[in-house]
Amino acid sequence: MPSSTSSSEPGATGWWVRPLPDTSAGVALLTAAVVFVLAMLAWEWHWRAFGSVPGMRNSEGLWAEQRRRIDGGEGDRTVIIGSSRVLFDLQLPVWQQATGRRPIQLALEGTSPMEALEGLADDPDFTGRLVVGVTPGLFFSGFAYRRSAFERYRKETPAQWMGQKLSQHLLEPWLAFYDDDFALFTVLERQPWPVRPGLDPPRLDVRKLSVADGERNTRMWARVENDPDYSALARRIWAQGFSRPPPGGPEEAAKRRDEQIERAAAAVAKLRARGVPVLFARMPSSGDFREAEMRGLPRADHWDALIARTGVPGIHFEDHPELQGYHLPEWSHLSASEADRFTAVFAPMAEAALAAQIPPE
Amino acid sequence: MLFNSLTFVVFFAIVVFLHRLPLRWRVKKINLLLASYLFYAAWNPPFVLLIWLSTLVDFEVAKRIHASDDRTRRRAWLWLSLGVNLGLLGYFKYGGFLLDNWVAAMASIGVAWQAPDWDIVLPVGISFYTFQTLSYTLDVYFRRGKPCTSLLNFSLFVTFFPQLVAGPIVRPGDLLPQFAQAVTASARQVQWGLMLMVLGLFQKIVIADGLLAPVVDAVYGSAKPVAPLDAWLGTLAFSGQIFCDFAGYTTTAIGAALVLGFSLIDNFRFPYAAIGFSDFWRRWHISLSSWLRDYLYVPLGGNRKGPVRTHINLMLTMLIGGLWHGASWTFVVWGGLHGLYLVGERMLKARVGAWAVWERWWSRIALALLTYALVNITWVFFRAQDFDTAWRVLASMLLIDSSGAPLLSTWLVLSAVVPITGLLLIHGYMRERSLHAEVARLPVAVSGLLWGTMLFLIAITQGGSDAFIYFQF
Repeated sequence: MPSSTSSSEPGATGWWVRPLPDTSAGVALLTAAVVFVLAMLAWEWHWRAFGSVPGMRNSEGLWAEQRRRIDGGEGDRTVIIGSSRVLFDLQLPVWQQATGRRPIQLALEGTSPMEALEGLADDPDFTGRLVVGVTPGLFFSGFAYRRSAFERYRKETPAQWMGQKLSQHLLEPWLAFYDDDFALFTVLERQPWPVRPGLDPPRLDVRKLSVADGERNTRMWARVENDPDYSALARRIWAQGFSRPPPGGPEEAAKRRDEQIERAAAAVAKLRARGVPVLFARMPSSGDFREAEMRGLPRADHWDALIARTGVPGIHFEDHPELQGYHLPEWSHLSASEADRFTAVFAPMAEAALAAQIPPE
Repeated sequence: MLFNSLTFVVFFAIVVFLHRLPLRWRVKKINLLLASYLFYAAWNPPFVLLIWLSTLVDFEVAKRIHASDDRTRRRAWLWLSLGVNLGLLGYFKYGGFLLDNWVAAMASIGVAWQAPDWDIVLPVGISFYTFQTLSYTLDVYFRRGKPCTSLLNFSLFVTFFPQLVAGPIVRPGDLLPQFAQAVTASARQVQWGLMLMVLGLFQKIVIADGLLAPVVDAVYGSAKPVAPLDAWLGTLAFSGQIFCDFAGYTTTAIGAALVLGFSLIDNFRFPYAAIGFSDFWRRWHISLSSWLRDYLYVPLGGNRKGPVRTHINLMLTMLIGGLWHGASWTFVVWGGLHGLYLVGERMLKARVGAWAVWERWWSRIALALLTYALVNITWVFFRAQDFDTAWRVLASMLLIDSSGAPLLSTWLVLSAVVPITGLLLIHGYMRERSLHAEVARLPVAVSGLLWGTMLFLIAITQGGSDAFIYFQF
C-alpha cells in the first residue's frame, strides 16, 4: 500500500524522502493508544467474565520446550505420551507426591502418540520410563491433529524459540483472552450463521476444555465442570463422531489398526532393547463415548491385540475397580479434582508396573 | 524473524532504542547491520554466510569493474558477480526443479533414472537480496552509478532488515546515499512510521491470514471440483490474500524504515484499480517490475526493435518474472499469461487507438473490473499447487465443469465477500490519491479511532505467526 504517489525526485537531501501526512499524527497516535487500551481492557474483562483465567497456551513451542528437556539431561525421567486423556487425567504434582518422580508431559490432544513414541525410540538420550496413553479412536487410526508440534521440535528456529519465551513470560501469565478459542475469527466462525443451501450444517469444533501450566500440566477448565450447558455442548461435539463410519470403511480401518500396532511394536522393541520400560494406559471414558468406543473399537481387537503384540504391560481402567467410578463431565476427561484423585491411585500402579520391567542390578 | 511476531516487536523496540541513543553515526550503522544479521539469522543462522558471500563479491567486483576500461575485463568481472549470485539462487531455488524436469525428460525418452533426494532448504528472501545486489553491480557496469566506497554502507544496503527478505527491492541510488550521512527520524516520521506498521500488520494478520486464507485454503485444498461460485470466491479471496499479505509486508517494512529515519520506495499503488495490464504492472510489485524492465526488458531491446521483438521481449521478461517467483511451471504459466495480456493490450491499443469512450467513468470502471477478472485467472496458476488443481478450479470458474458442489459455509462466503468488496472500493477510491494525503484530510480523532481499532483487531485476532507468502520467493 503506498503512502504516496509522489514521484521519486530527490529532495533537498539528495534522495527521495517519504512524504508525511500534514496532520498531527502524534495526537492521532495518542488517541489510537487510548482506544486500543480501552478496547483491550473491555475484551479481557469479557473473557474473564466468561470464566477464562490466564494460563499457558498448549502451544507447539511449549511442547517442543518440554520435549527438549529429554535432550537437556532429563532423559531418565518418566515421560507421558498419548492424547488428551492422559494429558487431562494425569496430574504431575500428584504423581510426584505419590511416587517421588515428576514426569514430563508430552501428550498431545487429538493426536496419536505414535510419532512421539517413534521419536523417543530413536532418541538415545531417553533412558527413563514411558507411559503411553491409548485413546482407541486416535491410537489405532494414527490420526494426529497436532502433528506440527513434532515438526516444531525438530525444526524450531531461533526466532520461534525466542517468541515462545517472550509469550510465556510477557503475555500468557497475564491475559485470559489469549487463547486459541477466543481468537476473533474463531469466535465469529462459531456464531449460528444460517446454513447455506446445499450444505450440511457445519461440524462443531472442539471447544476449550482445559487450562495448562508451564510444564504442560493440564486440568479441565472449571466451566466444563460447572456449566451444564457448556458440558452438554462438549458432549454434543463428541457425539458428532459416534455414528460416522471410519474413513475408507471397516477394512481400511482394520488395516490402519494393524499398521499402528506394528509400528508400536517396533518402537517398543527398540526402547526395551536399551532398557526403557514401557506401559500402555487406557484412561476412563463414560456415557455414549464409551459405548461408541466399545461398539466401534472393541477391546479384544484393539487394546488386547496391542498388549499381546508388544509384550509390555498395560493398565486398562476396566480391569481395576479403583480406576472406575470417576466423574467425567463430557464423557472423555476427568474433572480437575477427579484427575487428582485418579492420579493418586494410578501413578503408584504405573510406576510399579514400569519398575517391574527393570532387571535387578 | 517475522514482522507479525512478538519477537519482532521486542527486537524492533531494542533496535529503535539503540538507534536513538546519542552515538556516532558509524556506531549506529554498525548496530543496524548487526541487527539485520540477527534478524536474518533468526531463521537459519548458517544462511547469513550466503549474504556475506554475496556482499563481499559484489563490493569487490563493482570496484574492479569501475576501475577498468577494458571491456573484456569488465565483462569478466560482471560474469563473476552474475555467476556467484545467480549460481547461489539457481542451486538453492531451482536445483530441485531442474532435477525433476531432467528426470521427466529422461523418462519421456524411455530412460528410467531415479534422481537422488534434493532436500535443500531455500534461504528465505534469496530472490530479493540477489536482485538487489545485482542491481548494484549492473548499475556500476552500465556506468549508471559509482561503486560504494564503504563496506559498512554497502553491507547495510544489502542487508537492511526492514526490506531484506521481501523487498521492496531497493536500488543503490535510493538507499546508499541515506547511509552516507547521519539522519535522525523526526517525531512525525516516527509517528507515521508506526502508523504504517500498524496498517501493514492489520492487512497481514487480520485480512490476509484471519479472513481470506481459510477461504483460499478450503477451495484450493479441495480434492474435488467445487461449485463455480465457490471457485470464484476462492480465487477472489486469494487476490485479496496475496495483496494484503505482500502489501502488508512492504507497508510494515516502509514504516519500520521510516521509524529509523529512512525512506523506502513504494511497492504497490492500489493495483486492483488498474485499467489494463501495463497499468497493473505500474501498480503491483513496482520494485520488481521496474527491476525487470531496467535490467532485462530494456537490455533485451525493449520496444526499440519493432513490434515483433517488443512482444518477444515482453513475453521473455514476464516468463522469467514468473519463474523468479518460484521453481514451478505453474509460476511460468502465470508469468506467460501476464506476458500475453501485455502483448494483447499493446496490439489492441495499436489497432483501436485512443477512443473517447474509454475515458468515460463507466467504461473505466468496466475496464478496471475486466482487468481485475483477468488478473484473477492468472492467480489460479499462482496459487494452485499443481496443474490438476489449477484446471479443476479454472474449469469451475469458466463453467466448463459446473458439476462441483458448494463448499464454503456462510461464514466463509462472508469472509471472502466483505473484505474483497471493501478492497475494491478502497482501491477504486484511492486510484489517483495517496494515503498520506487522505489521512491528513481525516479528523485526528477519526484517524486515531481507526488506528486504535486496527491495533485492537490485530491483538484479538491472535495470529499464528504465519509466514508471509513472498518469503518463499
